[in-house]
Amino acid sequence: MSNNKYRILAVEDDRSVSSLLHAMLDAQHYETLMAETCAQGLMMLSSHVPDLVILDLGLPDRDGLEFIRTARGKSAVPILVLSARATEKDKVTALDLGANDYITKPFSTAELLARIRAALRYSRPGTEQNKLPESRFQLHDLAIDYENRTVSVASQPVHLTQTEFNILAQLAQHAGKLLTYAAMNEAIWGAADPGGNKKLQVNMANLRRKLGIRPGDNRYIVNELGVGYRMQQGEE
Amino acid sequence: MPNWKRRLRDGALTIAVMAAIFLLVLALQRFFVADKLIPMLFVLGVFIVSLQTEGYLWGVAASLIGVLLVNYAFMFPYYAFDLLSPVNLATAVVMLAVSVMTSTLTTQISVQQQEKAAAERERMRANLLRAISHDLRTPLTSISGACSVMLDNHDTLSEEKQLTLLGDMRRDADWLIRMVENLLSVTRIDDKKLLVSKVPTVLEELIDTVLVKFYKHYPQQQVEVSIPDDFVSIPMDAMLIEQVLINMLENAVVHAKGMTRLSLTVAVEQGKACFAICDDGCGIPAQRLNGLFTGYLDRDQEVSDGKRNGMGIGLFVCAAIIRAHGSEIHARNLPEGGAAFSFALDMEESDEQ
Repeated sequence: MSNNKYRILAVEDDRSVSSLLHAMLDAQHYETLMAETCAQGLMMLSSHVPDLVILDLGLPDRDGLEFIRTARGKSAVPILVLSARATEKDKVTALDLGANDYITKPFSTAELLARIRAALRYSRPGTEQNKLPESRFQLHDLAIDYENRTVSVASQPVHLTQTEFNILAQLAQHAGKLLTYAAMNEAIWGAADPGGNKKLQVNMANLRRKLGIRPGDNRYIVNELGVGYRMQQGEE
Repeated sequence: MPNWKRRLRDGALTIAVMAAIFLLVLALQRFFVADKLIPMLFVLGVFIVSLQTEGYLWGVAASLIGVLLVNYAFMFPYYAFDLLSPVNLATAVVMLAVSVMTSTLTTQISVQQQEKAAAERERMRANLLRAISHDLRTPLTSISGACSVMLDNHDTLSEEKQLTLLGDMRRDADWLIRMVENLLSVTRIDDKKLLVSKVPTVLEELIDTVLVKFYKHYPQQQVEVSIPDDFVSIPMDAMLIEQVLINMLENAVVHAKGMTRLSLTVAVEQGKACFAICDDGCGIPAQRLNGLFTGYLDRDQEVSDGKRNGMGIGLFVCAAIIRAHGSEIHARNLPEGGAAFSFALDMEESDEQ
């Protein structure tokens, strides 16, 4: 794999986990940098300009959330949080601060590598937010045409309302990224819904019905209960 | 319940009870001369108030109200206060004594109940810890042992042998991860109040999450799902209920011998969401049906066939989670064979916190 010469910075103080990450990333031919503290991580972020950061939250000098806050002030590098903190609140806090994804320990290596690939693809030049987005999205038999605002499943057109299309497009344009309810509400309606997430959830339910998604057989949109939604990675 | 709310309730109760007694006495006086009954009725009122409220304050207040009312309305001179007559003073003393003694008693009982519940929780926790330490020891031993073997003999062990050992290690570690997730679930329950933080959760999304995780571990096991077509949102701690459903599905796979069908059904009936997980396997042995959810923890002897039996912990955790949601979990054998586990959650958001 030639395009794997991405530079990845892992900020992790636990020795076993960091040696596991090192071995795992080396085996995938990523260029791997390791930092053990928040301060060291921030320094390496400025000096080495990595393509992706894997971040543990429980660091010895400062909380990893501080890292996200500081890093977001100067860099749009994708940050993938790898933490033992598993409550919905922890996830939402980190994501709303600007983390791209959140994986809880214990993690499966296959899952982590898939999320790394997704985050790298998301940040690659050409799909950055300031560039023009691609005009089409394809995932399995789901196809979205952003310009004509049409959606089809297995070549059959699916008729969506404005809101449903906006939700689907929002998810697809950030495919691979976990979007929190708050971020979705903001993007669709321009503000947090005072009535909670009900409006979003009802629209999602209708969207799932129209796309023919059955529980347990959900090939397009992953539910992160209490946190948000993630569109699976599309195909090139 | 917050403090001020509780005080408001107690105050309202005190006034209501004493007013009811007063009206009752007025009504009785229309039918017969109730003079002898009056102080007794008021003592009864004081007793009820002391019994139903917290602390001494309200009982004492009720007895004062009682003394004043009796004195004012039902004792000579009628509809005027005469606080210094010996009879009235004696009545006041008796009522005060009743209220103080009742309050002392009820306070004692509630303290005892709290201590008993705390002791019970402590016992459960100790049992859980003991059961878990026992269950964790086996896989940890085998992982550590396999690592030693591979480190010591890395140059002589055949590749095939090494792969087998690594495979076993991964299976054991995965099992440990699931067990630890169960433990984490238990710590999420605030054990002082035995309450969980409920968030409206979309049923369909919950079931989808459960099935995705379940199929990851058991890709060969199909689950027949039946849930309402409507949009259903249930207040719950989603991570915990997810754990319950996964545990129950896993329990069926591991224990229901000869199972060909496994179903997960949710129905909405009378403001409750009823969850049921049914299989057509061998069913639950009758002697285990009682205490299925706690029995494992009370059993001191080793598991007879020497095999790991973590599902005991899984079911214990299920029961604790459902109880923290203010409901009960049930297990029964189906007449046509197989077992059914079920529980119901309230659809309405309760403001009991």
